[in-house]
Amino acid sequence: MELIRNFYEGFVFIYGCTMLFMYALLALLSLRGIRKFQRKNSYVDYTKMLQSPLAPGISIIAPAFNEAVTIIQNVRSLLTLNYPTFEVIIVNDGSTDDTLQKLIDEFELVEMDFAYNARINCKPVKRLFKSTNTAYDKLVVVDKINGKSKADASNAGINAAVYNYFLCTDVDCIIEKDTLMRMIKPFMDEEHHKIKEIGEPCPECGYVHVKEDSIRVIATGATLRIANSCEIDEGVITRVRPPEKWLPRFQEMEYLRAYVLGKMGWSVINCVPNVSGGLGLFDKEIAIKAGGYDSKSFAEDMDIVTRMCTYMMDNNMKYAIRYIPTTQCWTEGPPNMKVFSRQRTRWGRGLAEIITIHRKVIFNPRYKQLGMVVLPYNLFFEFLAPIIEFTGIIYYIYLIITNQINWQFALILLAFVYFYSVMITTLAILWDHMTYQYYRTWREVLGLALMAFIEPFVYHPLIVFFALRGYFNFLTGKKHTWGNMQRQGFGKKKPANT
Amino acid sequence: MEFSFYEFRYAPLSIQIAGIFIVVAIVCTLLAYFSILVGRYRAYRQSERLKKLHPIIDEQLMEHILLNEELASDVPADQVQLPLESFQQPVFEKKWARQALIDRLIHYRNNVRGSMGEQLRNLYIQLDLDKDSLKKMKSRKWERKVQGLAEMSNMNMSIADVTILPLTNSNNRELRAAARHAYIKLSKNEPFKFFDVVTEPLLLWDQVELFKIISTTEHIAIPNFAQWITYSSNKSIVSFCLKLVVHYNQLSAVPAVIRLLDTKDHYVRADAINCLGKMKVEDVEEKLVHMYNSQPLNCRLEILKALGRISSGKYVDFLRQEFLHATDFEVRKHAAKSLINNKWAAKGLIQELIDTATAENKLILKHSMNPLIKF
Amino acid sequence: MSSKILLIEDDEVMPKIVERILHKEEYKIEHVTNGKEAFQKLEDTDYGFDLIITDIMMPYANGFEILSRVKNRKEGKPIPVIIVSNAGNEDMILEGFKLGADDFLKKPVIPGELLIRVKRLLMQYNR
Repeated sequence: MELIRNFYEGFVFIYGCTMLFMYALLALLSLRGIRKFQRKNSYVDYTKMLQSPLAPGISIIAPAFNEAVTIIQNVRSLLTLNYPTFEVIIVNDGSTDDTLQKLIDEFELVEMDFAYNARINCKPVKRLFKSTNTAYDKLVVVDKINGKSKADASNAGINAAVYNYFLCTDVDCIIEKDTLMRMIKPFMDEEHHKIKEIGEPCPECGYVHVKEDSIRVIATGATLRIANSCEIDEGVITRVRPPEKWLPRFQEMEYLRAYVLGKMGWSVINCVPNVSGGLGLFDKEIAIKAGGYDSKSFAEDMDIVTRMCTYMMDNNMKYAIRYIPTTQCWTEGPPNMKVFSRQRTRWGRGLAEIITIHRKVIFNPRYKQLGMVVLPYNLFFEFLAPIIEFTGIIYYIYLIITNQINWQFALILLAFVYFYSVMITTLAILWDHMTYQYYRTWREVLGLALMAFIEPFVYHPLIVFFALRGYFNFLTGKKHTWGNMQRQGFGKKKPANT
Repeated sequence: MEFSFYEFRYAPLSIQIAGIFIVVAIVCTLLAYFSILVGRYRAYRQSERLKKLHPIIDEQLMEHILLNEELASDVPADQVQLPLESFQQPVFEKKWARQALIDRLIHYRNNVRGSMGEQLRNLYIQLDLDKDSLKKMKSRKWERKVQGLAEMSNMNMSIADVTILPLTNSNNRELRAAARHAYIKLSKNEPFKFFDVVTEPLLLWDQVELFKIISTTEHIAIPNFAQWITYSSNKSIVSFCLKLVVHYNQLSAVPAVIRLLDTKDHYVRADAINCLGKMKVEDVEEKLVHMYNSQPLNCRLEILKALGRISSGKYVDFLRQEFLHATDFEVRKHAAKSLINNKWAAKGLIQELIDTATAENKLILKHSMNPLIKF
Repeated sequence: MSSKILLIEDDEVMPKIVERILHKEEYKIEHVTNGKEAFQKLEDTDYGFDLIITDIMMPYANGFEILSRVKNRKEGKPIPVIIVSNAGNEDMILEGFKLGADDFLKKPVIPGELLIRVKRLLMQYNR
């Protein structure tokens, strides 16, 4: 018994220290990344992209299910993004309201004989629409049979996309107008198409075969924020505010930490685990070769990124996933406990699923950073964290009941963890401030920053609980209870819970 | 609960470390708050200052520069003596205000050129703002150097070779690229000499920048890009030159591009085919069709597109063959598109295809014929 | 009678420049900064402008939408539209003309050129 106890205590101690160390490391890495980004951004002139025939084309893919109330203004806001060559593909995922009719009326759509190439599996597409008005010729509307998941709808969008890059988003996300230019830049900054000749001339064609020998950027992401209390006018954000209600405000804080500190830090060492489903720009060729989105997955965004990475590694190609620290997208966060619990339970289940599906990659040195850093980190510090925390609490209670606790030491340790977590969150807010000052008043900043002090008591236990419930559902294979209505809107954008 | 320093000293190591880190964390948190506060205050002050300064600058520019009557006269723009007194306010001795003025002038010049643009440049020179930019180029920080370079090149100021050439060989990629771009824009003698020496790939981002510079700079001598297409071993330079050849419709470079069809690199080969198609080089069709079967997919697609662009009508049968018998969806789609582009020579054929084709092929044909669908 | 011109432009300094360029010739310029305001203005004045100068990329509605709305109006006198934009690859320019734009100027503009085109269009449409 004593032995087990010592072992457990030792393990938890080392585990905790490593985790805290990782956070500090991430904070420093992301600071480096942000400063470099800022230095470059101090002189980069994005407007020159606007008239360039060389700007790569981008297809924006936004699935919509029963969004009739807001669809028009949201599409309008997508159509007015600043970029020279892009299209907007709205995938109407079998809406049961008049979403489609509204689109048809507003944008003068007609049905097209569109040679739709079903390269990725998804539910059948019924019709495709384009506008007869040249002013809307960037718009494509895909009407498909409901596939009960965003992944399925996105796949249909990818099949219909004509450009080499696609931006995956949601119809209810509000995207900053320079997003496309900012997010395509990392792709254009990489030394594309550096090639290597291999072997003797091929007997069939007489040419020496070549292969790409450059780092290929396969995806980029950016920071997301919560839109709940922002002032929004016809799909354009006119004033940014942290959410007024507590629950969404906790989420805003969590998002900042996950993106500005977490993913930005990972991006510096090319170990990004996940590009959010709310906003991500992908290399279409690789996404298709990796098989597109998995419509059965509970964490389809992390799943596709992991599969794209394994595809690159399996084919001996170097890749990178980049993050930019600026906020490019505002999304509606779950406003109440019911929706929130559903979302987080789903994320927990998704994570458990990813770990299981890709278990062969974990600690497989063939998959370099993916196998040795990204997935192990997610296994130990994302997946196991709630479990260990839970057992820790039980252990504490046991100690208290049997009166074995050294209160002084226990309190010091608790205070240590508490202040450390406050520090990390505050640093995330500071880093965010270095990229751009989104909030107008000092009070708003304080209102957000002070949440860090109550988070460990209020928000964190909730997350742990919902994650455990997700794992439990995963183990028992419980059928998901969310229908179409709930699936839309919430529960799709997943920041890693750094 | 008492807990003295004395006890702490004899506590286990882990507790001691924790204690120290509590202090560290609290200090860091406070520092972070402080930095946020300072950062916000600075940004606030700067924006307030600019809010006051911009109207002053705008007014002065309107009054004395943009509406300068002498503009209309025949005096060459750079000899007009501008009324500088109005800009000799004490505020313009401050560094930040001068920077704001430079930024504003650039902002104006991004919107207007011609005589007004020249006057703005004049003002920049006569107020010695170019000295500020030059100073930035001598800064130790690379991003300041880039900023200085950008200002000089926007104002079309020539920079002495001794200043700029070392920067073009800098170890910092960003600075090196910026210096080369500035050199191409500002150098009088051999703006394109970097094309000869660059060994690292030209990033797509830099190509966008270069393309803009080359296509918008007035009085730039456009060389024959064939020289790099033939001799450069840098693939990205070759493919960039191909785009320029198309942009300038440089027929003299066509033989060099045709020779490129034998290159081993199928990315470059695809670019070359693309270029020939856009230039509508009819003579090359035969060769393209001849090589078609030995090509990888990306080159095949380019060949099909080229046949559509050239639209000579000679290879309608070939396109029909590909459309009917190819297995790849993209190949069939592009064959169909090119067939439609050749429709002046294949009217009956297209109707016949529509009548006899399978459902999918019919859809592809209709797709290609629809003017509302571009791709 | 001075001609009324509607300028739709989200840049800060461009309106000042345009006002400068078109000043001497006694034009009455009204300026709005985005697509929403532009539609508002057009509705409020019952399309009471003699010429419209518009940018392409703006919030709420882009220049093409404004252009198509103005050109597809059934009743009322036709209004000439000039696009002035820093966005403009070949496709966009073509698209603009397809929608009936009367002119397409790339930024930075040449003052004299803008003035002449404005004058010419006003003359053409007023005949």
